[in-house]
Formats: sequence, structure tokens, C-alpha cells
Amino acid sequence: MDIIESKTWVEWLITIAKFGFCFVPVLYILLLIPMERRGAGFMQDRQGPNRSYIKVPFFGKVRLFGYVQNMCDGTKLFFKEMFAPTGSKKFLYYVAPAIPFAIVFLSPCVIPWFGPLVFEWGGKVVRIAGPIVDSEVGILLLFGFSSLSAYGAVLAGLSSRSKYSYLGSLRTTAMTISYEVCQGLSMMGLLVLAGSFSLTDIVSWQENHVWGIVAQPVAFFCFLIATIAETGRAPFDVAEGEPELVAGYHTEYGAMQFGLFYMGEYSHICISSLLVATLFLGGYSVPFVTTETIQAHMGGSLAILCWVLAFLALAFLHMIYRYSRKLAASKQSNKMEILREYTLYKTIGWVAAAAFIAAGVCSWMFYNPQITMIDGVAVNTLGAALGTALIHLLVLLVKSVFFCWVWIWVRWTLPRFRYDHIMHLGWKIILNIAILNLVVTAVVAKLMGGN
Amino acid sequence: MARVIKQRPMNWVERLYIFEAIRGLWTTLKHAARGLFRYETLPTISYPEGQPEVLSGYRAKHRLMLRPDGTPRCVACGMCAAACPAHCIYIEATASDDPRIEKKVKRFDIDHLTCVFCGLCVEACPVDALRMDTKEIIFEHRTREEFVANLKTLTSWDPKDYPEDEQSQKAPGGTKNAQARAVWGMEVK
Amino acid sequence: MPSRVFRKTIVLEFSGNNMSNYYNMPKLPTENSPKVEIFVDDKPVMVPGDTNLLEALKAVGIETPHVCYHPYLPVSGNCRQCLVEQEGPRGRMLVIACYTPVAPGMKIYTPASSARVKNARKATQEFMLVNHPLDCPICDKAGECTLQENYMEAGQCESRMRPEYGKNYHGNPAHQFIDAKGQLRGGKHVDLGPRVLLDEERCVQCDRCVRFMRSIAGSEQLQLAGRADHTYITTFPGEKLDHEYDLCVTDVCPVGAMTAKYFRFQKRVWLLSHTPTISMDDSLGANIWLDYADGHIYRVMPRCNPEVNRSWLSNTSRLAFQNFDKNRLPAVELDALKAALKDGGKVALVAGGSCTIEDLAALRMLKETLGDSAELFGGTFKKVGAPDGIAMSGDPLANRAGFKLLGIPDNNLDNLVDRLRSDLVKGAPEFKVLVTVNADIFGEAGDVAAALEKIPTRIALSAFDDATAKKATLAFGIRHWSEVQGTMVNSMNILQKLNACPVCPDEKLRPAYEVLSDLAGCKFESAFDAFKKAGEYASVLAGLSYDTIKSTGKLLEGGNA
Repeated sequence: MDIIESKTWVEWLITIAKFGFCFVPVLYILLLIPMERRGAGFMQDRQGPNRSYIKVPFFGKVRLFGYVQNMCDGTKLFFKEMFAPTGSKKFLYYVAPAIPFAIVFLSPCVIPWFGPLVFEWGGKVVRIAGPIVDSEVGILLLFGFSSLSAYGAVLAGLSSRSKYSYLGSLRTTAMTISYEVCQGLSMMGLLVLAGSFSLTDIVSWQENHVWGIVAQPVAFFCFLIATIAETGRAPFDVAEGEPELVAGYHTEYGAMQFGLFYMGEYSHICISSLLVATLFLGGYSVPFVTTETIQAHMGGSLAILCWVLAFLALAFLHMIYRYSRKLAASKQSNKMEILREYTLYKTIGWVAAAAFIAAGVCSWMFYNPQITMIDGVAVNTLGAALGTALIHLLVLLVKSVFFCWVWIWVRWTLPRFRYDHIMHLGWKIILNIAILNLVVTAVVAKLMGGN
Repeated sequence: MARVIKQRPMNWVERLYIFEAIRGLWTTLKHAARGLFRYETLPTISYPEGQPEVLSGYRAKHRLMLRPDGTPRCVACGMCAAACPAHCIYIEATASDDPRIEKKVKRFDIDHLTCVFCGLCVEACPVDALRMDTKEIIFEHRTREEFVANLKTLTSWDPKDYPEDEQSQKAPGGTKNAQARAVWGMEVK
Repeated sequence: MPSRVFRKTIVLEFSGNNMSNYYNMPKLPTENSPKVEIFVDDKPVMVPGDTNLLEALKAVGIETPHVCYHPYLPVSGNCRQCLVEQEGPRGRMLVIACYTPVAPGMKIYTPASSARVKNARKATQEFMLVNHPLDCPICDKAGECTLQENYMEAGQCESRMRPEYGKNYHGNPAHQFIDAKGQLRGGKHVDLGPRVLLDEERCVQCDRCVRFMRSIAGSEQLQLAGRADHTYITTFPGEKLDHEYDLCVTDVCPVGAMTAKYFRFQKRVWLLSHTPTISMDDSLGANIWLDYADGHIYRVMPRCNPEVNRSWLSNTSRLAFQNFDKNRLPAVELDALKAALKDGGKVALVAGGSCTIEDLAALRMLKETLGDSAELFGGTFKKVGAPDGIAMSGDPLANRAGFKLLGIPDNNLDNLVDRLRSDLVKGAPEFKVLVTVNADIFGEAGDVAAALEKIPTRIALSAFDDATAKKATLAFGIRHWSEVQGTMVNSMNILQKLNACPVCPDEKLRPAYEVLSDLAGCKFESAFDAFKKAGEYASVLAGLSYDTIKSTGKLLEGGNA
């Protein structure tokens, strides 16, 4: 009762609203699938899937740059018949795909999405932490969750009654164990520097000192490689290596069961990229600008954010217009149809650009929140705190989306390693480097007079 | 004969893999950027709507060349059928009505489902009767029988589609037909 | 030796009644030819001594190109293609191999060692091609043309003729015309007769056709007219080429000048497959090739057999194939035949001319199964003519010797008719069932057919829907002789092999021996089973197999069993 009464309704509202972040990985899937498909196409000088469309009145066939294809595929997977092979262990078989997907909703709990919200409400200073659960051992929780997803693969392989699935799951197990060791050890140097297992502390250490990638470049590389291996994607996707194992542990899966594995893999990428961004790229922190500066010039900061978005909208419009011109000059028989579709994008682009510019001007000219002093501490209003949180959140998302791109980029560039090469790399190279890095970091940190 | 290409052994920088991997990443990044920012330069043609440009040497659907009087130039010698590796040409011959010409073609079938478009029939033709320069690359029919081109479909082409080609212009409807017809109709002694 | 007997007839016939140059026939090597040593390209080889150089070189595997030479025609020696060098008293001279007899110790130089021979052959080849139109694409001979083969062998692939001169035709002035390119052309399809067309442009004046008509056919219907470059082949004014053997001129013609009207533009020859078999419409059993493609016989060509028909074939045998796939009987279930045969009463089994040894063996087995209730008859009502000395013996019962060999009567049809007539007087006929195998007795018999119709059950085993099949109560379709494997014995007592040509219109049709043996209760699975059965009936056939019979046949010693 004390706890409940001690908090105002605004505090409660924000705390509950934070649980919405649990769905961020699922939203990432919607972003990642088209990014992967069309990105792969572009890297291979293809166009990627771009044919499916929705009929919209006035604009005709709207393809959303091929995005409709993913909706179609999702719909297809959803409505396909679910089946289990003869002789499979039915319960485990049906449960297995749900495990990696369930983890998706747990992992975001410990990620600090923004800096601690400090604002004045009702004459009191209110503090709300960045993560949903501001745990002292957040990083360990995160590792625990992400390791759980291996169970999905293992159970799928065991229950499928297929040699390929079985071999795939064995490989997944071995690889998960190997690379989790590397992952953990390579990160240790950073933990030594930050002196905490809490992700919030690690981010604030980076905010106050330097980003992890600068402080621990070697650890960054080791961690990145180990994390890619942990997600089981190319070049480390021996668990589902097509030439050897058909499709690895999910050989026998179809319909939405396969879809769950598929989504689990992408949300795993999302979590991993958020983790890398948090650990090594300063998390939510804006580069070269401190949080105090942002809060001191709230209107200007929001204006810059709006203008950046407006610039992106204008760049998008530029590309659309350029392509329209090119298309109008071509002999393609359906060009009028496509140009009609593009009017939709042009409209949206212009509206967005105008809105962002206007919003930027407004916030720059008129928004200037006051800072009140409570108990000798400068405290922002609720609006300024939320604005800061918004900027922080967007910065974190941009960083993590970049790492998601790295995942896709690496997958479509590097060929798959042989299984023994992976083990060699994990145990004999990355692990050693990580240990060496930890020792050097510890010694240097001690000599520099840290804790 | 197989040609052996000796590969340079990798030096230690290459064997470190990481730098070569980054080089590869740079290459794919360039291509991805091209697709993202210069989408229109991608070589892909969105096929049924956009048609590829057919170059002049392309071996497309066959056609039978015509004499000035409109009869096919084919003398039914069967050289094309003999040269055909897919055995898709079937020819029947008969005696010609024109006293200057012995043999004419009665039936000329090319099964385009069997044809491999190698162009050997065109090479084999001794009288330049068979050509593959129609630039028609789309074959869409409802039944298998329609894929078999016969004498009628092979000779139903328009000289206007071949403005550059002199031989085509000598066919009925071409610009040089009248001139060629005068030479062709020379008296038989 | 039967071959000698046969040859003697020819000699009697031709040396007597016309002034042929038959004396100039080339002597061909035989197995008994004496071997002499000559030097070819300075290497000693043993060759047959009683022949000409061309044949002697061929016997040791050296092919000499030739156009006018034909082993069964008098030597003319006008094409000069077969030139070789011979070491003589005045040094090495070019001689024609076809007209130079082999002499022991002679020294011969072929193109393998002598550039002079090579150049000389090349030069004659070039001259021959000066005005030859080279319209091989439309020529029916292309693919089996001697000139084409020689040309390819000589490798004279580039013409030295200047294109502005073109090819000019100097032959028969009546057939000249100017073509669309302004060139002098002529004689593209001259109608020589009912069956043969002449292309004067392609003719190389080898005069093989003239020699054939003069020496073999014995009727000089073709002649060379004009001189030198202006020579052309023609008939006498108002006359036509209409001899029984006139289609042989299209065979002997080394180029595409003589073409058969029935085969004109029908099929390119390289598309034809060939089945070696025997023509079963004459007891000489002319050796033939059945040339077929996509399930149809396109032509029949004579197959060289020095003992039997040499390279000749009569028009009758050659054009018979045009009716092979017409008017055929459909296949019938065997049960109908069995039921008809079971009606009881005495059975008359009549074997016809084109029955093979296998058919006859099966028929005899059927007779033995039926026992006394059956009687064998054989023969033909057709008139037996005299041998013409070329490729016909005149006897329409093709397998007459085979009938005799297997103990089947070959000439007792009159007996059958007589007995039926006497039965007619008495009332009921003696025979209740008549089975004819390949025997069109109703068609042949004419006025006596009325007596045969008195037999109540008439079964016709026949390939064609002929008069007998029409009169029959049960017409049972069987395979034609061109579609079965088998053997026959010809009038010279040579056992010859028939092969099945895959042109049967209906796969359900079965050979006669299979049907008959099935009726007898002991079905022959293959023709060879039937042949083994024939070996039980005739001891000369025992121990033989199809492999031991050569393509030219096997002479049966002590025949006429």
C-alpha cells in the first residue's frame, strides 16, 4: 500500500506504458523482413520482391515498395495447415516453436530505452528508470533469456523424428554453448570499466566517459561476432545449413510453427542489436551532446529532430520524383499505374515534410519549458522529460536498426563457415582474445586508478 | 582440355580473414547503396510489362523467306531437319508448279516446344529461306498443337518489320517487290 | 552349281539374239579366284588374279572412286575417275583401273603414294562438275550419290569456276531455258516414260543406263545423243522408256539424273532405314532392301546378291510395296478361329505362295495335330511363266522349293477342285472347312471358284482383304511377309532370310506361323522356334540358325527333298 500510495498517477501511467516496449521486437520483425529481402536483392543487383499489391481507391495498385509481399507471406503462413510428422513427440513438437518466440517478450524488459526520467509533478521530484525492470543484474538476465531460445531449437530437433532436425539441434546446442562463453567474456572488460552488471549503469558510464566501442574496440568485435553466431545466422548458420541438413532443426515444420521460428530468429536479431547498441554504442545517449544540454534547449532539440525527419522525407521525395521521371520516359506498359501509385507516396512525403518542418519551427519558436528548482536541484517539467525520452528512444532505435542492418549485411556477404571452423574460431580465437582483453583491461583499469 | 589456373597463395593479411571480410562487406554495401539510391539503374526488367530489347543477332522465332511472287523460298531440301539436333523440323516436299523450280515445300512444321533455338537450321539452309530474326521471343499458346509453327504461320510476316533487310523487301508488300518481280518473271525459253 | 546354271541362261539369251557388248562384262573375283602377287605402292599384296584392277584393289581394301563402272554392267571406261598409275616399259603411266586386267607382278601406284594420280582424279572430278548443277539440296539422289561421295573424298571443296560464267547447259536444245539469274539451264524434268524422269542437267554421261538397257534389259530404249559437251541421254523420237526393268536405271545412275516418279521428293534418303529381306512374289526370291521411315515403306531397292538377282529388280517386285499397307485385314481374336475349326468335318489346309518355311512348318504341325481329318493342299492357279534371266523366275509360288522341302504339296489345287466337283455331283462336299494361308485362291481361280464355295466354312488367313477373304466366312488378318521374320527357299535352292520391317499397321496382327501353331496347340514364341520345327521335317534345315544364313543366302546341298 505504501508503494502504491507513494506514487502519483502519472508515475503509474508511465510505468505501465513502459510495458509496451515488450512489443518492440515484434514490430522489428515487420521492419526486418522487408529489409532483409530487399536488402539481399539490392546486394545482388536484383530488385527483390515487389509485385504484391493492395488495391486502393484512387491510387490503384499500391505495392508499398514490395512491403505487401510480406503481408501476403504472413497471411499464407498463418492460414496453412499445421501438421506433425508421424512418430514425432506431439507435445514437444508443438511447444518448441513457441519458446524462442516467448523469449521475445521477456528480453526487452531490461533494456534501458531512455535515460532516467526526472521531472517535477505536484511539487515533488519524480524519477522513473529507463528499463521496464531496472535490475542490478540486467545483463545476466538478458543472457539468460537469450540462451533459453536455444531450447526451442533443441526441442524441435528432438521431437521432429528426423535425422536432419536432430543433427541441426545438436549443432545449435554446441554452438550456443561455445559462443555464449565468448559473448560473456568479451563483454567482461566493459563491465570491469563500468563496474556494474546493470545496463543502466553501463549506459550512463558510457555517457559520462566514452562509448564502449572506443574503450573496448577488441571486445566490440569479439562480442559482435559471438552475437551473430548466437543468433545462428550466416555465416554461422550451420544449424540449418541447406546443403547438409535441408533446413536444420525446423526441417519438419511448416505453416505458423515455422513462422514462429522465423519470427523468433528476427526478434533475436532485434534483441541482440539492441544489446550491442546499448553496450558499445552508448545506448540511448546522443553523441557529442549531453542530456543536460538537450534539456536546457528542449525546443531547439526537438526542432532539430523534426528537421532531420523532414530532411529524410525530402530525400525520399527526391528519389521518388527521380524514379518517376525515369519511369515516365521508359516503355514499360504499366508505368501509368505505377506513377499513379507514386502519387500516394508523394502526397504522404509532402505532408510529412511539411508537418515536420512546421512542428520543428513551432517547437523552436514557442516551446521553452521552464526548469524549476526543488531542494536545490534543477528539475524539468513532464513535457521536457518526455521529449528527452523521445529523443533517447529514437537514438537507440537508430543505433539498433543499424546493427540489424549489419546482421543482414554480413549474412548476404560472407559464405557459411564449416562446422569445425566455427568451433575453432569460437574456442581457440575469440575466447582467447576475449580473455586477453579482459586481463589487459583489468590491469590498465587498476593502474589508471579505477575501482 | 581443362585449363589449370594457379591460385596465388594467400598472404597473412588475407589469412586473417577479417580484413577480407570487411572488403567483401564494402563491395556488397556499394551494391546495396546502388539499389537503394539508384533503384532505376538496376538491370532487372520487370518482365511482362517491360520488354527486353532484342538484339539483331538474337535467335528468335523462325520465319520463312518469300520469293517475289509470294511462294516460300524453301525448296524442301531437308537440310535444316538434318542439322536440327532436337529433331523438331518436319518437312514434306512436292513438285513445284513453276517449271524453273523443281521442288517446293508442302508441309513445314517446327515444333517450338522441342526447338532449342540453336540456329543450326538457319546455318544449314542453302537458299536463305529460313531465318530466326523475327525478334519474337514470347511463345504463349493454349495447346501443344499451337506451338507447332506451320507453313502458314512461318510465312505470315510483314516486310515493314524488316526495313533494313533487302531480301525481305523483295517479298510481296515490300518496297523492292516490283523490281524483284520484274527480274523473277523473266521469260522461260 | 546353280549360279552357273542361271548365268548360262543369260548368256544363251543375250549372246544370241542381239548385238550386245555383253562380252565386255567385268570378271568379278570369286572365292576360287587364283591369287597373284602385285605391288601396290611398292608393297606386295596378294589379289585375285582373274579380275580387273579395280575389283582386285577393292578385294584388298583399297577403294577406287568410279562413276561409270558397275560390276554387273559392261565396262565402258568413260568417266576416267578410277585412274591409277602403272609401271610399264615406258615408265609410269595413268591407266583406268576398271579396264586393266590384273597381271602377276604389276606395279600399281594409288593416290596414297602418287600425287600424279591424286591430281589426275581431282582434275577429272573437276571437269565432271563443270556443268553439273550441284543442286544436291533438291536432288533425290543426295546422300547416296556417287559423285557426291567422290567429291567429298577428293576434298575438292572450293570451286575454281569463275562465278560469272556459272553453270551452263549445252545438252538437248529443245530443253534449254534461261533462269531468273540469266543463266542457261535446261532439261530439269524430262519425261522419259511412265516411271522415270530424266534431269539432263545433272547427267554426267556415264552411259550406265544406256548399257543397262542394251546389255541387261535387252531393249535399247535409251541412247546417247550429241557429241562431247553436248551429249545427252534420250529415247528414240516418239518412243518411251517403258521396260519391265526400267526403274533399274534409277539405281545404276550414279547421280540424280534418272529419278523414279514414285519416289520423287518423297523422302530424303538419309532419313530412311533399311531392312534386308526377300521379295516373296516370285520364286527367284529377289534380294531387296525395304527402305522405311516413320512406319511406312518408302521404296524397295535391289540388294546385291551375285547368285540371285545381282543388282536388278523388276518393276513388279519394286512397286508391289505400294499396296502393302492398303486393304489390310484387321486382327481377329484367335478364339473365333478355334471355334470355326472345331465345327468338325474334314479340313482342307491350303498354303499359298508367300508362305515362309516357318508358316509351312506350322501348317504341317497343324495337319499332324488334326490327323486324318485334315488334308494339305498347296500351289497356285496362276500361270507359271519362264525365267526372264534378270531377276524373275516367272513362278508366282515363291516358296515352291520350300513346299517340296517340307513335304507340302505344291501343285495339287486342281486335285482339290476336282474332288469338290465330284462331291458336288454326289451331294455333300467331302470337306467341311477350308483354311487358306496366304493363298488368294478365289482371286486366282476365276471360274473354278464356284466349286470352292461349296465348302461351308471358309477361313482365310491373309494379310489383305482380297477375293478369298471376301468370300470367307472368317477372314483372319495376319502379318504380311514384309513384316515377319522367316526363311524361304528360292528356285535355285538357296535358303534366304526374310527380316521383319517395323511397318506393321496394327501391332495386334500376328504372323501366320504363330497363329497356326497356336491352333495346333503348341505355340511358337518366335520365328526361330518355327524354323527349328521345320528342321525336324527337313533334315537339311536341321542345325541351321538365322545367324548361319548369310545375307546372300545359303545354298542347300542335295535339296529337293
